[in-house]
Amino acid sequence: MIKILIVDDEKPICDLIDLNLSAAGYHCTSVQDGAAAIRMIEEGKYDLILLDVMLPGVDGYDIMEYIRPLQVPVIFITARYEVKDRVRGLKLGADDYLVKPFDVVELVARVEAVLRRYHKSGHVLSARDVVVDVEAHQVLRGGRLVELTNKEFGLLVLFIRNKNVALFRETLYEKVWEGEYSGDSRTVDLHVQRLRKKLGWENCLVTVYKVGYRLEVPQ
Amino acid sequence: MKFSLKLLLWTVIVLALALGFSGFYFVNSVFETSMERETGQAMEESRILRFAFETAALNAPAKYDVLADRTIEEIARNLENGGSSRRLRISGENRQTIYGSSDFGGDGVLLAQTGQEENTWQVIRLGEQYFVQTCMATRALDRILYLETMRDVTEVFKERALGFLVYRRVTVLMLVLGTFIMHGISSWLTRPIRLLTRATKRMAEGEYGYRAKKVSDDELGQLTLDFNRMANALEDNIAMLQKEIQAREDFVAAFAHELKTPLTAIIGYADMLRSHRLDEEKRFLSANYIYTEGKRLEAMSFRLLEIMVTRHGDIKLQAVPAEALFQYLSGMYANNRTMRLLFRYDSAMVQAEPNLLKSVMVNLIDNACKASEPGGVIEVRGCLKKKKYRFSVRDYGEGIPKEEQEKVTQAFYMVDKSRSRSRNGAGLGLALCAEILALHGSRLRIDSEIGKGTCMSFILQGNRLEGDGSRNG
Repeated sequence: MIKILIVDDEKPICDLIDLNLSAAGYHCTSVQDGAAAIRMIEEGKYDLILLDVMLPGVDGYDIMEYIRPLQVPVIFITARYEVKDRVRGLKLGADDYLVKPFDVVELVARVEAVLRRYHKSGHVLSARDVVVDVEAHQVLRGGRLVELTNKEFGLLVLFIRNKNVALFRETLYEKVWEGEYSGDSRTVDLHVQRLRKKLGWENCLVTVYKVGYRLEVPQ
Repeated sequence: MKFSLKLLLWTVIVLALALGFSGFYFVNSVFETSMERETGQAMEESRILRFAFETAALNAPAKYDVLADRTIEEIARNLENGGSSRRLRISGENRQTIYGSSDFGGDGVLLAQTGQEENTWQVIRLGEQYFVQTCMATRALDRILYLETMRDVTEVFKERALGFLVYRRVTVLMLVLGTFIMHGISSWLTRPIRLLTRATKRMAEGEYGYRAKKVSDDELGQLTLDFNRMANALEDNIAMLQKEIQAREDFVAAFAHELKTPLTAIIGYADMLRSHRLDEEKRFLSANYIYTEGKRLEAMSFRLLEIMVTRHGDIKLQAVPAEALFQYLSGMYANNRTMRLLFRYDSAMVQAEPNLLKSVMVNLIDNACKASEPGGVIEVRGCLKKKKYRFSVRDYGEGIPKEEQEKVTQAFYMVDKSRSRSRNGAGLGLALCAEILALHGSRLRIDSEIGKGTCMSFILQGNRLEGDGSRNG
């Protein structure tokens, strides 16, 4: 199981990240101050560290110095959005940058992307009888290849990554089409319909009334 | 044109005029003296000649006591040859020439003007030479004759020309030398101006720390000093403005940070509630976080609003009985069982805005509570001394590090972030207190020692109560 350390001085934020990443299948530990974080980094072996920049005592940049020799991937979490702050973080060796306030879906996606880059999570996702190879861009259903368009593929990955989570049409649109959601739901609906048909998921990719869709997988 | 060049040019012009005029005057006066002397000698010579002529005329053999023209010619020739080539001319009553030296050369103008009793002279020029021509009447027997002589004064004129020539040379030389010397002097005199100009240019280019060097003790030196003083004042102002801008930027950055953290929690938990099917416990946790973080935002926005209102507000100070304030405070904290608050105060009237003063005291007491361990003692005091009323709030908590003491009145500043946040502080309380006290013309004084506690105090104008009637405030 992949172990993630969350360092943030705000308990609510720690819990938020913890809840969501645990739901996505990661094992999370959270710590609220810099000195304790350094102790835990030295003791335990973590696959990924989510690090708040502004911490009381030892700040995120200082902790980064401890982490670098350990070759553990790091995602900075910060309220600062200035370019110079981001550049500083990335130069110090952070793998990604997450600016508050962030979407939970985005958090999960970034965590997965960084882990995949380090080959810590497999590039193969699966749900029910469908297996998705993210790198090969290949979808197998019961061992047989299924042809999907780019957008359908994006939707499928998003659903599999957020099993049992109601995904809003606007979230789907923003993440897959990468644009501002204008309120027109037909594009999203049409693609979900086709995806259902191609995968035979008419029953498990359910419509959530007035909201969007949810991929139901037995827990 | 540069100032030093102007100075140089005008000096040279004045020098040239002065040298030229004085030279001309000097040479000319020498010349006039010489001419006077020459003329005098010419007249003297002429007079001697007349005497000699008259003597010769008396001794000449005369028929019928008449002096014949021939006799006159003879005497004249003798006189002419008597000295070294004299030039003379003798004319008769009707100004007709009786005898004239071959090289006499003079004109008849003088002769025509001269009366029987007069001696006259004039300067004439013949070719390259100058002469003094004299004319006087002489009586020989019964005849009236006119004797004219010529005296060569070319030398005097030559001397004058030479004088002018020498003087011109000297003048030119002096001007050239003077120009060099004045150039040096004028650039030395205008050096402070050049240094000042350089300083203004440097400063205009943004180098506010550059100062002009003082090189003289005169008015320009004074100007340099004044300029530097002005530059210092300007630099201080700029530094102050930059500090203010920095403070404002810090404020905005801190504000953004403080705003984003609760927002992230609220958005995140709300998203979880609407997307996930959560169990009872997690749903409560999420909803509770949304509530508490929302409350935190609310408290922060109120505090901010208060600061802004205070910053722009104009307050009216009035006499507030200290007793009423302390009674209000002790009433307010009466239900607080975690801290032991001790109130002690002198009765007095304090000049303040009552609601703002309450706000300051509540903030200070809250801060003291946050810094103390549960059960700690907090002393709230009011003490009157010589028309000054000193309020102080003392705790025996953790204290504030020395380097942090100046910063605690900045908005959003928290000495121990996680700790004060866990007690719902937004880091705005002391900033608000500082603003309010500034409006009262006072400032917050912080005495603190790590581990021993903190004493926050401020002083307002106060008066002793007069009589017992005003005791129930």
